[in-house]
Amino acid sequence: MLKIEHLTKIYDNGVMALNDVSFEVPDGQFVVIIGLSGSGKSTLLRCINRLIDPTAGRILWNDIDITAATDEELRLIRRRIGMIFQQFNLVKRSSVLTNVLSGRLGYTNPLWSLINYFPRSEREKALEKLERVGIREKAHNRADELSGGQQQRVGIARALMQEPELMLADEPVASLDPATSHSVMKYLELLNKEDGLTVLCSLHFLSLARTYADRIIALKEGRLMFDGLPEDIDDERFKAIYGEDAVRVEIA
Amino acid sequence: MNNTDRPSSRSALRRLLLVAAVVLGVLVYAYGWRVTDISLEETQDPIRQDSVTRALRELLSPDIFDQDRTSEFVYAAIALGCPEDGTPIEQPAAEPGKPQVTVSPDCGRGGDVITVQGTGFAPHADVFLRWIPPSGQSRPLVRTDVDDSGNFTTRFEIPRIRGSQGETHRLEIEESWPVSLPYFSATTRTVIEKIIETIFLALMATTIAVPIAAILSFLAARNLMRQVQLPLGNVLVGFILLPVGWVLGVTLLSPVATLGMAWGKELWLGLVGPLIALAGYALVDRSVNNVELSLHSLGYHARRIGMNILLLVITVFVIGALGGLGIWLGERLQVGLLADLGNFLGTLGRLIELVITLITGAGAAFFAASVGMELTRDGLKVLTGTPSHIVGGILGAIGGALLFAGLALIANIAALLTLLLPIMTAILGMQVVIMIFNRAVKPTVLAEGDARQTARLIVGIAGAVIAFFLAYDLLETGRGLVDGRLPSSLTWDVLGYQVQSIVAKAALVGGVLSGVGGLLAGTRAIFPLGLTIYNVTRTILNALRSIEPLIMGIVFVIWVGVGPFAGVLALTLHGIAALGKLYSEQTENIDPGPLEAIQATGANRLQTIVYGVVPQIIPPYIAFTMYRWDINVRMSTIIGFVGGGGIGFLLQQQINLLRYQDAGVAVLAIAIVVSALDYASATIRERMV
Ligand SMILES: Nc1ncnc2c1ncn2[C@@H]1O[C@H](COP(=O)(O)OP(=O)(O)OP(=O)(O)O)[C@@H](O)[C@H]1O
Ligand SMILES: [Mg+2]
Repeated sequence: MLKIEHLTKIYDNGVMALNDVSFEVPDGQFVVIIGLSGSGKSTLLRCINRLIDPTAGRILWNDIDITAATDEELRLIRRRIGMIFQQFNLVKRSSVLTNVLSGRLGYTNPLWSLINYFPRSEREKALEKLERVGIREKAHNRADELSGGQQQRVGIARALMQEPELMLADEPVASLDPATSHSVMKYLELLNKEDGLTVLCSLHFLSLARTYADRIIALKEGRLMFDGLPEDIDDERFKAIYGEDAVRVEIA
Repeated sequence: MNNTDRPSSRSALRRLLLVAAVVLGVLVYAYGWRVTDISLEETQDPIRQDSVTRALRELLSPDIFDQDRTSEFVYAAIALGCPEDGTPIEQPAAEPGKPQVTVSPDCGRGGDVITVQGTGFAPHADVFLRWIPPSGQSRPLVRTDVDDSGNFTTRFEIPRIRGSQGETHRLEIEESWPVSLPYFSATTRTVIEKIIETIFLALMATTIAVPIAAILSFLAARNLMRQVQLPLGNVLVGFILLPVGWVLGVTLLSPVATLGMAWGKELWLGLVGPLIALAGYALVDRSVNNVELSLHSLGYHARRIGMNILLLVITVFVIGALGGLGIWLGERLQVGLLADLGNFLGTLGRLIELVITLITGAGAAFFAASVGMELTRDGLKVLTGTPSHIVGGILGAIGGALLFAGLALIANIAALLTLLLPIMTAILGMQVVIMIFNRAVKPTVLAEGDARQTARLIVGIAGAVIAFFLAYDLLETGRGLVDGRLPSSLTWDVLGYQVQSIVAKAALVGGVLSGVGGLLAGTRAIFPLGLTIYNVTRTILNALRSIEPLIMGIVFVIWVGVGPFAGVLALTLHGIAALGKLYSEQTENIDPGPLEAIQATGANRLQTIVYGVVPQIIPPYIAFTMYRWDINVRMSTIIGFVGGGGIGFLLQQQINLLRYQDAGVAVLAIAIVVSALDYASATIRERMV
């Protein structure tokens, strides 16, 4: 269970990116966060694993207060929260395998990992995860030799190495074409349905959100605008979230 | 006032200003002309033109090759002043089988032209003509070549020789031909030896500088350091424990280091000991870490600390053993090629012997600081309100006293360094005054905004200035700055210890100021530790970089004597500063995405750097290292001029002895090596980036 309580974030430059946001996510739910550019989606997701420190409010996960964790505690919490990014954020010059293995750093002996040594079992696990996202044969390629869709799958494999219970996905398909977008979203769906991972995913397109979400949360200027089922977003709500001038764009 | 006339008057004013600026510019330029002694007469002085032409000609005729030659000599007689009766001058008798020469005329005065014809010479041989007066030095006249059939004809002017009228002089004709292939001259061989020394000098300086600069570059990278922020209370505890850890480490771990060294010198013990130690550590690590412990339990902390102490002890032991091993090998390997290796290992071993106390001290200091911070973190976290401020005040006072006492000790090194104390006081004073301002002037009085910002700035600067001059007065900075003397060696009696007065006074100043600061801020205030380290590192690097390597070279020549070692040290020190800056700029330019992603997986800071930063910076680091080597070769040619070894030293000697043909060889060698390296480094850089 993930509980967000009165979360507020004011950046150093005075921008209020989140304004008293509260909601709860039960385990195993696929939640999609939508909202205009600048509405605070990334800020919300990054507060959850404290890539950003919130200004006020609490985030409780399985009754642990993430916002109050010390560095060491935070490391242990982060190990169980996977994250994937719009820009994939792979280390481009490293091999795919090394990228995937780096998802395991929180678990390995820090001294060994510094000389790039991973036990055999970990390497096998990494190959297994690559198999799962269908690019095992690319394990020894450099990460920047892969296409965007493949890179995002490496990103998923890296997050899977953490054996996460919660997956944060910040616009994971925003730099991909529609067909590839669906294939990447399918993997997330699979993880959600098969492994029971809780998924929190921000998306730009409502159509994509409708296809995959159990529940949709909409942000507008840092405030929670909507929290409910995908089918409850009618034209009126759509205009409220995206503004009067918006037209619906379907994505195949 | 009408609106149309304003722009035109303004543009007239602007034009006037422009003219004034141009006039001023010309005046400044003229002054520059004068102080740099630019003089056209000097360039046209024929004597100087003559010498420069000669010097250039010799520089451009480098003495690269030598060749063995055989010579044969033939002579002719020439009278200075023709006899009145016109009788021919008696010529030396022609020897059969030898070449013959005829001179016409066979007499004359200084300046007359004489034609020389030769027959029976070796085809294509070189012929040198010399004038040999009855007494005194022979003078070279002309040189010419023999044609296919063994003949030559040439002309020369009779030299104007004073006071030898009426005598018969001799003309020497030397016929010379090579009997060996050309080979490198002795000069060339020395130059090659020295240029190799130069290349290695540059290589050594680069390789020693690279790892140090790489480590410093992380500390000087804003993007990595900015995130490192801690509550003030923790930082202070850590800082206070640094000297405690140092003392403990040096006293308690020295025996371990000595043991390591002793074992290392026994070879087998030295090889086996570290292996057993490391294996033991791995074993303990595995068995202990299998137990799941709750994060806040005493057991968890005890385990972490215990393991780290064990690691520290083992590390010191292993370093000691490696040092001992190096010394052992250095003593044994004495023959042939191995001698170089032995010398190298032996020096490394002795270096470790020298610095192992420092390593233990520093290691223990950081360890004590981190343990202290970890253990007190939970305790400090629960402190709020007044207790937090009181504890902050106490910790601040101790920390400030330690910091200032340390700075006062540094001030004892050189007079100028006494400035550190008032500067530090100013920085602290500024912070304290701003904190007081924030508390005293409530936002209800002056709302947050530009006006408040300005007021804060003014108050802060005023605080800094006042603090600076108070400290300047109190801590005898004038003595250092104006009189150039070190701080007084008078001592004070502090709790029965004799403490140098400036140290005691500085500690007092620092203690009071930081105490007030800590009191106001409280233990929970966020302290930008990373940015502080960043600024200190940057300042040191910039200061080092602004000192010319030539000047460093002079200092090191005084320290370790004339020779390439001084050059290596100078270029290393400068290289650390220069590379540190270049590297850190590359680190600041990396893509932050992968860093965040790795951080988000729960990796610790070191792992994040190894996996997220290092792969990104390797190509530019290699490129800049090559570039630095290239620069170092260039600089080591110059550093030789102050005694730093390498080819510069040779070049300086050649120039001082006016041996420009030899100097030409050195100049040529430098040009070849520098352009080759330039090309190589450019190619590598292109591939890498
Ligand atoms: N590091 C930062 N410093 C200051 N302001 C920021 C920072 N990051 C984001 N903001 C501001 O906070 C607000 C919310 O940004 P955020 O990135 O969370 O929006 P978003 O919904 O993810 O937008 P997008 O769809 O474009 O990714 C924006 O107004 C943005 O300008
Ligand atoms: Mg975003």
